[in-house]
Amino acid sequence: MTLLSVALKDLRLHARDARFVATLFLFSTSLVLILSVAFGPIFRDPAREASATLWAALFFAGVLGLTRSLDLEAESGGGDALRLTGADPYSIYLGKTLANVLLLGAVFLLVLPIASVFYDVGNLSVLPAVLGVAALGVIGYAAWGTLFAALARGLKARELLLSVLLFPTLVPLWIGAVKVTHALWADGNIDPVRDWIKVMAVSDVLALALASFLYEPIQEASE
Amino acid sequence: MSVLVPKWWSGLTQVLWAASLLLLGASLWMVVRAPVEAQMGVVQKIVYVHVPSAIATLIAFGLTFGASIAYLSTKRWYWDAIAASACELGLVFATIVMVTGPLWARSAWNTWWTWEPRLTTFLILWILYAGYHVVRASLRSSARRTVCSILGIVFFVNLPIVWKSVEWWRGSLHPRNVTMTGEMRETLLLSMAAWLVFLAAAFLTRLRLEWAREAASARGDARVPAAAPGRVSA
Repeated sequence: MTLLSVALKDLRLHARDARFVATLFLFSTSLVLILSVAFGPIFRDPAREASATLWAALFFAGVLGLTRSLDLEAESGGGDALRLTGADPYSIYLGKTLANVLLLGAVFLLVLPIASVFYDVGNLSVLPAVLGVAALGVIGYAAWGTLFAALARGLKARELLLSVLLFPTLVPLWIGAVKVTHALWADGNIDPVRDWIKVMAVSDVLALALASFLYEPIQEASE
Repeated sequence: MSVLVPKWWSGLTQVLWAASLLLLGASLWMVVRAPVEAQMGVVQKIVYVHVPSAIATLIAFGLTFGASIAYLSTKRWYWDAIAASACELGLVFATIVMVTGPLWARSAWNTWWTWEPRLTTFLILWILYAGYHVVRASLRSSARRTVCSILGIVFFVNLPIVWKSVEWWRGSLHPRNVTMTGEMRETLLLSMAAWLVFLAAAFLTRLRLEWAREAASARGDARVPAAAPGRVSA
């Protein structure tokens, strides 16, 4: 219950700030455009370049989303209010992660067709598998991102530090997402990259497991 | 634990420094005398610094992990001091690994750097622990110890990945283990002992600094950069 309430609260805050949501989408679209121009106009390996572009755009745009959700909470005093309710910290964390999953998922769904069109890759038969990889990637990103964003709450230059701490942690997830998406778009055969799906799943589970006992001290630290 | 540094601390530190200098001198002598490897030539001798530094890195970051858990459980300042001191030394040794690795790779693989699993994961490890120190330096509030302890735990997740990367990923160029015999093996073992004693001596010296800082903070000495306020137990 807490989980859903927190997720809805965060999503409502995002929905109220339409300018930010529009900026987030424009930013991710611009990243796809810039990278496709840099790789193009004749692509050597469109599947590889498209998958790298797609995930790079999502990861960079995601940092904006994570820091913005922190700012919104700080401005409205929502973080303190949440703690005062006495809700279970892990449920709060899961709620925030769910909101970030939905936000990042929306960005992914926007960027996916743009990247597909610009690079002329992908077909509908592999779309469910691509969405499956996206789910693994986005859940992992949101899980690690929510944890680090909460940690960076009290820091000076937190946007910068969030990137410095978060991106290296996300490297295994990012490499896995790019490799599996590339395999799907290239020939649809994911056997050579099956290990990377396991890496992504382990990364997701690890973030959620670590947060189960670290989110409470993080909350205390930000008090 | 008192905030006053016990007298035996200085004595032990001096003994360890003396032992590490002796051992490092002896290992240098052994490295010079050790046979030159047939294929790589004299460059192979980098391994006598590279491997002990890598092991020292793992030990130091492992200590950071253990002390971070202990700090979150007990909230005693000295666990944070141990974690910070070990992490700083771990980063120094990780930097040595990052410098000596490419020097060896240039001769072995004909390239300074390649994106193979061990190198990539170790670079990530280095960036993460460098980030630990950036965060530590940028926080002056009481949250610093808790935040850094959490980072010390989260970042440790990468250590088994670095360790097992050569087995988990196909196409790894990095040697899985170092097999040596005779004089080369003896040289490597002595180098390892020397660098580990050096790590212990440097750790105690660095920890003493944290200890002194805590003592000054407890006295309210304004000249010392204030450590984050924490529980100082008797």
